[in-house]
Amino acid sequence: MSSKSSPNQTETSLTNVAVISSSDADDPAFASLGASLVEIRKMKGVLGYIIRGNSSAAFDLAEGDKITQFAFLSYQLCESCLEIAKQLSVATIESALVEGKSLNVLFVNVGENKISVFMEKNIDHSGILKRVLI
Amino acid sequence: MTEVSSPNSSSTPLQTILGEFRNISPETTKAVIFKEDGEILACNEGDIAKDRAKNLAAAFDEIANHSEVIGGVENLTIQGVNSQINVTTTNGRYLATVSSRMADEKRVKALTFVVLPTIIKLMDQIEPSKLENEPTDPPNSEAEKEKETTKPQEEPKHTEQPKHTEQLSNPHRMLSEQNFPKPPVNQFMVEKIAGLLVASDMVRIDADIVAKWVDLYGDREISQVNVETLEGRSVRCKFRPVREADSKAKGIIQIPERILQTLRLVEGKLVIVKPVIPAKWEEKR
Repeated sequence: MSSKSSPNQTETSLTNVAVISSSDADDPAFASLGASLVEIRKMKGVLGYIIRGNSSAAFDLAEGDKITQFAFLSYQLCESCLEIAKQLSVATIESALVEGKSLNVLFVNVGENKISVFMEKNIDHSGILKRVLI
Repeated sequence: MTEVSSPNSSSTPLQTILGEFRNISPETTKAVIFKEDGEILACNEGDIAKDRAKNLAAAFDEIANHSEVIGGVENLTIQGVNSQINVTTTNGRYLATVSSRMADEKRVKALTFVVLPTIIKLMDQIEPSKLENEPTDPPNSEAEKEKETTKPQEEPKHTEQPKHTEQLSNPHRMLSEQNFPKPPVNQFMVEKIAGLLVASDMVRIDADIVAKWVDLYGDREISQVNVETLEGRSVRCKFRPVREADSKAKGIIQIPERILQTLRLVEGKLVIVKPVIPAKWEEKR
């Protein structure tokens, strides 16, 4: 788990989930999505997730040592998808799927919260997407 | 000022194929094939700003640059409220399509991720030889064919030849030569390579071995190698010789993380490496 990076940041460990928050204010949407992701994480073939809100972030990854790489990819995926959509005049992004050679990443944009779910290639991402959006 | 790029005449077949997209999948409203620098090779919707295409390529590349952890990017699908974007890259070209969410997803994906990349690859194989064969002396003439079939087989050259990175100086000669040796098989020990300037799709091989290939194949350019693990997994990728300054590279192949993951390899393992003989050479054997 990563350590605190500033005095007003807190990090709590709930089983395998690391939560980083810069304020104590509760975000119900973030909390609700986090709960869904905890359930999704239990699915076979789901290797982990990262959720990023305005003031909070949480992750649970099977390969914890690669958290930085996953985090960079998650952030870049969000930025690049927005740029690609803008260039092709597509107004709003709901989700994106990156098919990698060894893993797939599902990106879901839910309001202010950006979610990346990392999964094996044989997993049906549409099922996961539905569960996130419920 | 926005520079507008239109498909050039040399890409007419691609333009035609993109035109057919609308017949096959009427819900595909936009399809564009472009290069990294923004040059539009084909587009089914009139002109497109070169800057836009350049930005698209850059955005896709940014994902690819951070995708080592998932083994590199093959395809990207973005779902909007009413639209769906598919982006893929093949042989340095990018293909982006925009379709309605009502479109048959399987059909759009098949067109974007399978059909067009395959056509681009085929065109890449055909076009260089076509262009290079255009000068004065057409190689497909009857006289040339006869000359080729009656030419005695030659032993492979073992003399000093140009470096493998050089462009083919005489492709016509390359095509007319009939005989060349089978690809040699070499075993290497794996070393992981990483860094900002390391291409994720390229391995680095002991320069002595590369020099032997150059000796063996003369001015034919070997651009790819087949790397196979002892468990039978294999990938085809680009390569370059390890820098001469690195004398520790004897019997070593340096492989970036992305390829290591694809092959499920770790440092210290042994792999078998063969130069890839292009199909067009094989046809001429």
